[in-house]
Amino acid sequence: MARDRNRGVHPRVPELQRQLADGHIDRRSFLRTTTLLGVSAAAAYAMAGVPAPAWADGMNMPFPKDDPKARMGGILKVGMQVQKMEDPATYSWVEMSNQTRHIIEYLAMTGPDNITRPMLAESWEASDDLKTWTFHLRKGVLWHNGDEFVADHVVWNVERWLDPALASSNVGLSTFSAMREDSGKKDDKGKPIMVGRKGAVEAVDKHTVRFNLSKPVLSVAEDCYNYPTAILHPSFKAPLNDNPIGTGPFTLAELKPKDRCILKRVTKTTDGKDFTYWGGKVYLDEIHYYNFDEDNQLTAFASGDIDAIYEFGIEQYELAKALEGNIIAARTAQTLCCRMRVSEKPFDNKKLRQAFITACDNSVYRDLVFQGGGDIGENHHVAPVHPEYYALAPLKRDVAKAKQLLAEAGYPNGVSVTIDVGNTDGPWHQTVCEIMRDQVKDAGIDLKINVIPPSKYWEIWDKTPFGATAWTHRPLGTMVLSLGYRQGVPWNESAYDNPEFDKALDVAESIFDVEKRRAQMAKVEKILQDDAVMVQPVWRPVFTIAGKKVHGYPPHPTQYHQFNKVWIG
Amino acid sequence: MALIMAVTSAILFLVFDSEKFKKQIAVAELGGFAVSALSDDDYNAWLEKKGLNVPFYQRYGQWVGNVLRGDFGLSLETNEPVGALVWDRLKNTGILAFWVFFLMIPLSLTLGVLAGMKEGSKLDRSLSFIAVFTTSIPEIATAIILTVLLALGAGWLPTKSAMTQGFDGWQLVLPVLTLVLYDFGYVARMTRASMAEVMTSQYIRTAVLKGIPYKRVIMRHALRNALIAPFTVIVLQLNWLLSGVVVVEVFFEYSGFGKLLLEAALFGDVYVIQAATLVAVFVAVFSQIISDVGYTMLNPRIRFS
Amino acid sequence: MNTNDTALPARKTLIQHLQAPRVLIFLLLVMWLPLTAYVMFGELLGPHKDMILIPAIPATALLYAIAVYSWRESWVSVLGVTLVFFWLFMAVTAPFLPLMDPNKPLAPFTLPGVEKRDHLFLLGADFKGRDILSRAIWGCQRVIVWGVTATLVAYVVGSAFGLLAGYLSGWWDEAISFLANVLLSFPVMVLFILILNYLGPSGFNIIIAVTFASAPAIMRIVRGLTLDIKQRDYVFAAQTRGEHPIYIMVVELLPNVRGPVIVDACLRLGYTTVAITTLTFLGLGLQPPDPDWGLMIKESAKTAMLFKFSYMLIVPALSVSTLILGFNLMADGLREMSLRD
Repeated sequence: MARDRNRGVHPRVPELQRQLADGHIDRRSFLRTTTLLGVSAAAAYAMAGVPAPAWADGMNMPFPKDDPKARMGGILKVGMQVQKMEDPATYSWVEMSNQTRHIIEYLAMTGPDNITRPMLAESWEASDDLKTWTFHLRKGVLWHNGDEFVADHVVWNVERWLDPALASSNVGLSTFSAMREDSGKKDDKGKPIMVGRKGAVEAVDKHTVRFNLSKPVLSVAEDCYNYPTAILHPSFKAPLNDNPIGTGPFTLAELKPKDRCILKRVTKTTDGKDFTYWGGKVYLDEIHYYNFDEDNQLTAFASGDIDAIYEFGIEQYELAKALEGNIIAARTAQTLCCRMRVSEKPFDNKKLRQAFITACDNSVYRDLVFQGGGDIGENHHVAPVHPEYYALAPLKRDVAKAKQLLAEAGYPNGVSVTIDVGNTDGPWHQTVCEIMRDQVKDAGIDLKINVIPPSKYWEIWDKTPFGATAWTHRPLGTMVLSLGYRQGVPWNESAYDNPEFDKALDVAESIFDVEKRRAQMAKVEKILQDDAVMVQPVWRPVFTIAGKKVHGYPPHPTQYHQFNKVWIG
Repeated sequence: MALIMAVTSAILFLVFDSEKFKKQIAVAELGGFAVSALSDDDYNAWLEKKGLNVPFYQRYGQWVGNVLRGDFGLSLETNEPVGALVWDRLKNTGILAFWVFFLMIPLSLTLGVLAGMKEGSKLDRSLSFIAVFTTSIPEIATAIILTVLLALGAGWLPTKSAMTQGFDGWQLVLPVLTLVLYDFGYVARMTRASMAEVMTSQYIRTAVLKGIPYKRVIMRHALRNALIAPFTVIVLQLNWLLSGVVVVEVFFEYSGFGKLLLEAALFGDVYVIQAATLVAVFVAVFSQIISDVGYTMLNPRIRFS
Repeated sequence: MNTNDTALPARKTLIQHLQAPRVLIFLLLVMWLPLTAYVMFGELLGPHKDMILIPAIPATALLYAIAVYSWRESWVSVLGVTLVFFWLFMAVTAPFLPLMDPNKPLAPFTLPGVEKRDHLFLLGADFKGRDILSRAIWGCQRVIVWGVTATLVAYVVGSAFGLLAGYLSGWWDEAISFLANVLLSFPVMVLFILILNYLGPSGFNIIIAVTFASAPAIMRIVRGLTLDIKQRDYVFAAQTRGEHPIYIMVVELLPNVRGPVIVDACLRLGYTTVAITTLTFLGLGLQPPDPDWGLMIKESAKTAMLFKFSYMLIVPALSVSTLILGFNLMADGLREMSLRD
């Protein structure tokens, strides 16, 4: 078995093993990166010389181990925004994907520990140059209509995502953007139309799929668990709720957007045969989602209507503590970027930006806002939970220096700036800005806080000269830097434009070796930090709560629901 | 009435045709991150998919045609037929309204009549004070105080009325109580004033002097005339209720018409707003007409002149 | 209005001098303008903005004394006036009271009467650790200023249209009345939601929304009164003098419709206050971070749904209730007195 499992191991894995032994990388990074490169989690744990934890079992399953105490049956009632169920490839909210996460499944699955394991794929390998990725699909996976899951289905899905007419956000992921090419045609605005490259994805045999990428990509497995990448049956026609065919243990029984979404176990295929789920035991009979806005989920939990909720904010922490239930906290790379748009006055003045940042003390937000939870942000948008995080020297607040910088910037008598705050993740955004206001005041900067409703903030988030924007968690540090700080990318809200940074990031993204990549990240992080684009005060934890009778409810950094091994008792 | 509805719906269409609103819908549907990543082409394609790129007069004409055939279009947010959606929510609000009126009418009429019978009595004065007091506490405050006392404190009632497990009468108690408390004082005072006026009128005095039993005077002569004014007031409460339920439904998480309207407005769900506004205007105008007609029919002075 | 007037005392007392309309208007302005400027344009006033409120304090006190003296016969009005002036007094003195900064997060979820971080939280602290007593008192500023201003603007607009419709009649009347009917056929909250959602939530937009919602009703009242008064001799006199219609409307008609309008205004102040609080609760009204009652309710409704923390909800709920009770009692007393005369 062991030999079998190591057959597809990436040549660099032994090197990683050496690094682990020498103490160059920690166990966490080793596990992450090796699983990423196709080593099964169990094998990785074995190589790391640690006992496999509960979820890494011999069957190469992405789920936690069966709990011997678990009881079969029961209904899990979850408070969440219930939305429509159109086309999974164009989902725009995590809630939408949670509704279908137990119906349709993914090639890979990132667990609560931020480790990505094989799901519909049994394993994968990457070429040395990280440009060719081969996925070995799991055998014996059945669709709800009785069809067998095969390689052609994956090819059909990926090609569908690449079709510009579908407008799936998946093409923004590095993996799938590296499968596209310029069609030679231009749209009305003169922008080139990008289409899928021929042969970018191919079925090698019935159970093997190969991705041929145009550039090295490290995050292929992670990208295959991004929420719009669920694998659909080729008979799919939107909306999904009309004919929900998946491979998962549940199917849709009732959907009423803004009201409820009821999932029931699949026992028979639609052509009348017995349905056996590939993923082993699943305890719950039904999963019910009831529509509650984020603000009201915890109070609904308190009233006993529901067993678990999507999320509650830090401002509700005291209330949650007083309730009968288990608070479940996940450490994440979710954050708030108080970013300055470097193309707008007065923020085009680098000295001014530096003055602002020097006047802030990032170390206090964690305690003041999250009661000690979360991590300190360092203004370069790479989080300690990212494997390639390089710890730069801690930022120091220096009011005198800030004043001096401000004078050099041309504001010897102080300056007044306004920050737009949308509280899109809850009122803690505003709390952060209020603390910031008190800090920068000492340096002669008068910070005005312009609070606007969340929906209005999303209309201006990428235009306002100074705004506090929430960024979600991504498994790798390079992923978010590519999305938000490369010159000209759509989500570059700060209008940051530094070729040196782009080049450094290119290099980092092509280095497989975590140790070397981390050294390169030091450079990347430093450039971004020195350019003083943002105050990024804190990495926030996310909280949810589940009733005492709910067992095995996993804390996920992106609130993805993984209820296969949850049981009620 | 039809003219008023036509004008308001045209204005609403015009308003929601603005670029700003289309963008708002896009942001609400796709999320801010995604919208800003869209190219102009993608955005236009999205508009086309949603049917928002057609000039508003064309959409309006189409919509009017459809509405006349009873088709209110599809919700932009949930893709459900608007007619069924609004009807569903209206039913829930109807249940709420039924219980509010069921409790409020006997309570306020009885108190109002009793107080009006003896103007200046202890009952009259305390009723006046209680009425001013309860109508002065806004619904949101009443809702809070009731929740804190009866639900959080005593634990007798559920705090929210989301009814996830089907209809539950207990969950209806707090919203109904909130609305009744806020509203009964006003109707009671109107009844009292009307009753007091009747009691001082000549024919009642004559009847009492003629020796007809007091009870009979009240039941046969006074009540009938005293209840004309309250009748119109009560019918007009329907109109008020449509405003009043918004905050109560939102606070108690009750899926009714008011909550629907607020959510649709915040999302920019044009067709839902249109249908809901039409219903609201219809109810308002209709209750006005009923109260006018009823007043004419009940009031002999107007009827015969 | 006052029985003393008929007794014709040899010398008017000081307080009777103060009852003269001109003095009253002067005092009202001295109280109102600084407060409005402070709340609406506080940002522009610079570092010494607190100073602007100093003249308003004696003016408020004096007005209260006059009001109590004038309405001393009706204990209902006196109670109402006392409640309203309590909050007015809080509004003008807020910066000088020994209060915590209402936006300063200190100790989250501190229960009432507990001392934490060297500060005694008399009414407790909210989810961010801000002093609730301080927020309740500062909160009244915004509610009062926006509420009263919105009502005032609605009155100016409503009266203007009412005068126009009533005095000019003809197609002016037709057009204005139709417009009013369209607006009146909306349930008020529906109108608020539509307008504020379109304009975006802010204090100034609340003024616009309240104007749209209230002005038609005001216009109807004023129009009716105008139709009645326009038949009077002094209006004919002015017309034969050849005065401009605008002069007649403003100088001859307006002062004579004010009686019933004032009672209505008191009630309407109450409605507007409710509306502002409710709208803010729904997320369509005033915006954080500055405190106001609707916002306190909104924020606490999701953080404090527990008996232990219910003070966070009760305090703003009671605050807004007392203010509205004050307005309504005032209206009641005024009506009682006008009936008595």
